[in-house]
Amino acid sequence: MTTAQYGAITVEPFGDSAVMVTIPHADQAIRRSGIVAFRERFLAHRPHGVLDVVSGLESLLIEFDPLRTALQHVEYAARLLAKWAPAPSDGPDGARAVRKFAIPVVFDDETGPDLASVADDMGLAPAEVVEAIAESSFTISLLGAAMAPMMDGLKVPRPVRRLAEPRTDVAPGAIMIAGTNAIIQPFPGPTGWRVVGRTPRTIVDISRPDPVSFGTGDIVRFVPVTRDEAAVLGAGFLLPLGESV
Amino acid sequence: MKTVALEITSTGWITTFQDLGRRDTERRGVPTGGAADQHSAAVANLLVGNPRGATLIENLGGELALVPDADVLLAVTGDASRVTVGGGPVESWSPLVVPAGHEVRIHGDLSRGTRTYLAVNGALTADTLLGSAAPDARMGFGQTVVRGSRVLLDTEFRGFRRRLFEAPLFRLPVPVPRFDAGPWVIDVVPSHGIDTIAGIREVIEEATYVVTTRSNHVGLRLDGPVLHPDTDTEIVSHGVPVGALQIPHADELIVLGRYRSLTAGYPIVGVASRASLSLLGQAGPGRELRFRWTDSESSLRRFARREAEVCALEHAATEAFGALGFTAPSKTLARDQMRMYSHLKSSSHFSHEEER
Repeated sequence: MTTAQYGAITVEPFGDSAVMVTIPHADQAIRRSGIVAFRERFLAHRPHGVLDVVSGLESLLIEFDPLRTALQHVEYAARLLAKWAPAPSDGPDGARAVRKFAIPVVFDDETGPDLASVADDMGLAPAEVVEAIAESSFTISLLGAAMAPMMDGLKVPRPVRRLAEPRTDVAPGAIMIAGTNAIIQPFPGPTGWRVVGRTPRTIVDISRPDPVSFGTGDIVRFVPVTRDEAAVLGAGFLLPLGESV
Repeated sequence: MKTVALEITSTGWITTFQDLGRRDTERRGVPTGGAADQHSAAVANLLVGNPRGATLIENLGGELALVPDADVLLAVTGDASRVTVGGGPVESWSPLVVPAGHEVRIHGDLSRGTRTYLAVNGALTADTLLGSAAPDARMGFGQTVVRGSRVLLDTEFRGFRRRLFEAPLFRLPVPVPRFDAGPWVIDVVPSHGIDTIAGIREVIEEATYVVTTRSNHVGLRLDGPVLHPDTDTEIVSHGVPVGALQIPHADELIVLGRYRSLTAGYPIVGVASRASLSLLGQAGPGRELRFRWTDSESSLRRFARREAEVCALEHAATEAFGALGFTAPSKTLARDQMRMYSHLKSSSHFSHEEER
């Protein structure tokens, strides 16, 4: 792959030391997958003076040190990378290996208070929604607030709508869906997503040098388990398949 | 090197370990965070011969007090504070030698700013998350400094033979910000949301806004006039720079702080100048703010001037402390910067490789 499939990018200044990159394309799916590909590429060839990036659903905020580089340089580098840089996986170093996760999840009325309403929206039975989630293969597209893994790949008849009234307190480990995305709540907090289940595993552990074991590009499947099975599995730190503590 | 204990005899409303924030973690969903007033935090460290990003203590409201069990070199910056050592008034924004067993008391002036910073020569012992001692409430990383606890400090400071109330130790060129009594003027660079609301530029330019008590580390919520977009264009979740001016559905203006997360649905009409962010970090409830539109270039010129002042202090402090024979901050500073930017070095081969 020598050129990006998404073609041109839009680069807009955002304040005095950041730019916002978006992909002007009519198809939402291409805008979203394109920005993920662009981010990986940009981080693999990070230009001088770039401090950090923030992933949005369809955008990438690039933050730079304005005393070490200039907006024009960052914009030029971004455009050049969008056009010419090979994808990181094509490079000599390669991207880090994709890790696979099988995450045990309890799907019931208590852990998944929105399961029934999602099923209603889809014209399915709750068990069929669980089945659809379990059969979907998710790819982590970005790490959201507090390192929450945001995934794409939910296979349901139509995108899942968000809640009109957000929930104020969702337990850690909650599996939540919206659109064709899924996310796991690492810490107690509010959400407008539909809560469909809960994993007993610890997703983010701040006492570890690296609080998470997953990264963008990793593959996730949700494995339905009973409450008893979940209790046996326990709250251990989530690790990829083939690794144990 | 020796280990000194600082006995915490009083804490304010919120007293935490702090530093300049996390680096390169926003791409993994963790905001940079760190001292709300980055200028005061950096200067406090430089005044005691530390690298700018060393761990220090941030205090909001109330009174922070501690007693060291050996002589220490410390400095207090931030809002116009009343600082005493053993009951006698001493200067803020200046290096201070505090003899063993003497109590330092720091009282912020809440009618001006909100936060004081206390730096001590050496390295404070504090937990870190992703390389930084800055708290992150969202991830349950509180970093609270507890009254009655003993904070440990590794320091090479062996004391100067001098008395407490002699003239100031050094004549350092200290860039002390002004925390005026009247409205603070914040420079803002317009961003594209300004074009989605007709007349908002004029409204913001002419109004005076007041910081409300609904404000926190995520953002300042301001009372004052706003306008809303006519159309209901969907704005999907996206990242925003620190200092973004956001107009939510309610009639208020939000200035996002260093702990902001992704935002969706609300127009961003501008972003506060990098040179204004430290001042915003001192704005508390009741504070009046006025906004002045500026362009990127003027904004960065101001920021560069501010940075030059801090660099001048850095050089002067390096020389002064170097002459006194304890570890010059330049050495630790260089090490720190190498660590900070090492990830950039390994990936800054962009321009040459791509052109080949």
